[in-house]
Amino acid sequence: MQKSDIGVIGVIYAICLIFSILTLDLPEDAQTYPSCLLATLAGLNTLYLVRCLVRLRRSGLNDDLPQIFSGFLRGQFFTVLFSCIGYMILLHAIGFYLASAAYLAGVMLFLRVRTTHILITAGVLALLIYAVFTLFLKVPLPTGALFG
Amino acid sequence: MDTLSLMGMGFVHALGPVNILAMLASTAIGVSIGCLPGLSAAMGVALLLPVTFGMDPATGLIVLGGIYCGAIFGGSISAILIHTPGTPASAATAIEGYQMTLRGQAARALTIACFASFCGGLLSCISLYFFSPLLAQLAMKFKSPEYFWLSLFGLTIIAGVSSKSLLKGLMSGVLGLLLSTIGMDPMEGVPRFMFGQSALYNGIDTTCALIGLFSMSQVLILAEKKIVQRPRATKFKDKFSISLKDVRRISPTIVRSWIIGNVIGILPGAGASIACFMGYNEARRFSKHKEEFGKGSIEGVAGSEAANNAVTGGSLIPTLTLGIPGESVTAVLMGGLIIHGLQPGPELFTKYADMTYTFFAGFVLVQFFMLAIGILGCRFFASIARLSDAILIPSIFLLCVVGSYAIHNNVTEVILMLIFGLIGFLAHKFDLNPAAMVLGLILGPIGEKGLRRALLLSDGDISILFSTPLCWILILLCILGILSPILMGKMEKKMARQATQNQ
Repeated sequence: MQKSDIGVIGVIYAICLIFSILTLDLPEDAQTYPSCLLATLAGLNTLYLVRCLVRLRRSGLNDDLPQIFSGFLRGQFFTVLFSCIGYMILLHAIGFYLASAAYLAGVMLFLRVRTTHILITAGVLALLIYAVFTLFLKVPLPTGALFG
Repeated sequence: MDTLSLMGMGFVHALGPVNILAMLASTAIGVSIGCLPGLSAAMGVALLLPVTFGMDPATGLIVLGGIYCGAIFGGSISAILIHTPGTPASAATAIEGYQMTLRGQAARALTIACFASFCGGLLSCISLYFFSPLLAQLAMKFKSPEYFWLSLFGLTIIAGVSSKSLLKGLMSGVLGLLLSTIGMDPMEGVPRFMFGQSALYNGIDTTCALIGLFSMSQVLILAEKKIVQRPRATKFKDKFSISLKDVRRISPTIVRSWIIGNVIGILPGAGASIACFMGYNEARRFSKHKEEFGKGSIEGVAGSEAANNAVTGGSLIPTLTLGIPGESVTAVLMGGLIIHGLQPGPELFTKYADMTYTFFAGFVLVQFFMLAIGILGCRFFASIARLSDAILIPSIFLLCVVGSYAIHNNVTEVILMLIFGLIGFLAHKFDLNPAAMVLGLILGPIGEKGLRRALLLSDGDISILFSTPLCWILILLCILGILSPILMGKMEKKMARQATQNQ
């Protein structure tokens, strides 16, 4: 049995539990289909648990987490992830083009891209997005609370 | 209108200036995505899906088809030049292609790969034209119970074949089905699992789930690893041309690989990565120059490339006629079809026949664009293949944001896309299957309506689900769908082992 299996099984059971509680609030007729799905998901997860337990008895617990996360650069990953979240906040405040420029410059500087490449990338992307989304699809991109 | 007239009209429509421009741009984008190691055809199709919103459905589908074919061929460029397959479908091409590059024949290898891809893709259109209407006629016999079993069959196939663990694949599929229940109940009209968010009233938008699971997750996958400079491609010392002698030599290989790729494409669940190894192995088996294999054989390159591109046309057959995509990229393509308001099935060949045959004609023409772009733009794509992940990470993210925002001009979709991106990343890490999840999300409403309508008609009698021979055939196929991964897994391992031994 792999150590990561414990997490997967736990998360699936948690999903089943949350959705089961929410299903109880639905009218009786509307409960049938989600209940069938939840029973199937819980059944499959239990089957997987049984298989894992059989493997646990046969070959013990194998810690596969170092293998799954081998080469995982925590600092780089979370900086990129949080910069994505930060970008969403900026998007709301200063609008699409300014937020995008700040995001692109920030992330690429962090990833050590040369300044000329940053400028070229930002220019090409701005042109592309303006042509496709603003001119062709006529999508009103967010202007931001500060300027809107 | 008869089929021949529809085919002719399809070409007339497809040759319109907008469609030509769409083919040119989409094929070039597809080749660029394909030649970048780490980016997949499914990611490209998902990312460009919102761009097709403003287009006529036929043009939109031609764009998605162009990206699909371009990306499958594009994978061979980095496989040949830097020994790193751009997509798994070009893994076998790297064996002989890179050897040719080392011998100073990079341009010859690329020309042969391009020519073989063109022939494989073009020949696969034959089966697309002739088998699709036949299968669609069969689908006309389907009623509510059959549609329920069909959606289950689609799910068992994709969950089983493209997952490392069958149970995890099936769990991913059911999870997708569960997510599809979020929003308004289609029969009772009551809100379900909306967590107090009115934005979820119409359920989870398939496009934002697709962009999140296939494109945003890729951003996170690239962000977790150390960014390394890709090797510089070898300079071309020879010419981009193919001699008549080479054409004569690789022709039988191309025909064999076309048949292999096409059959594999039609079979739901098997994909281009299996086809390329099978094409390569058969090329070696039938070759009169076996000694050249492992040292840079043109038949090896042609066998692999013709087979993986022959999969494209074949794989569209079950997707368009039955709504059963065999792999991630066709699942995303099917999502694109549904987003344009079209349901896979017989209606595509009756009510929307004009649109379908225009798409088919576009798919044929895309192969010619692929040939021209492939040969003329190889030098340019070789430099694109070196594009650093440090540039790709923020660029892809930005396109994900703007694409998901364009769905309803709403930031909620962007947040949902980000959540699905995280789900996709974790699914990738823990061997769950994003393709099965998406398919569950797409097939969920079809299956639910099929089941609940059937039960409504029979006053809740469950035996209606087993009442026709077609139901039983589909049940049997579901069981086969569950068993097929074992056979496919063994076959893929055997082919890969044989190819490595040859190398």
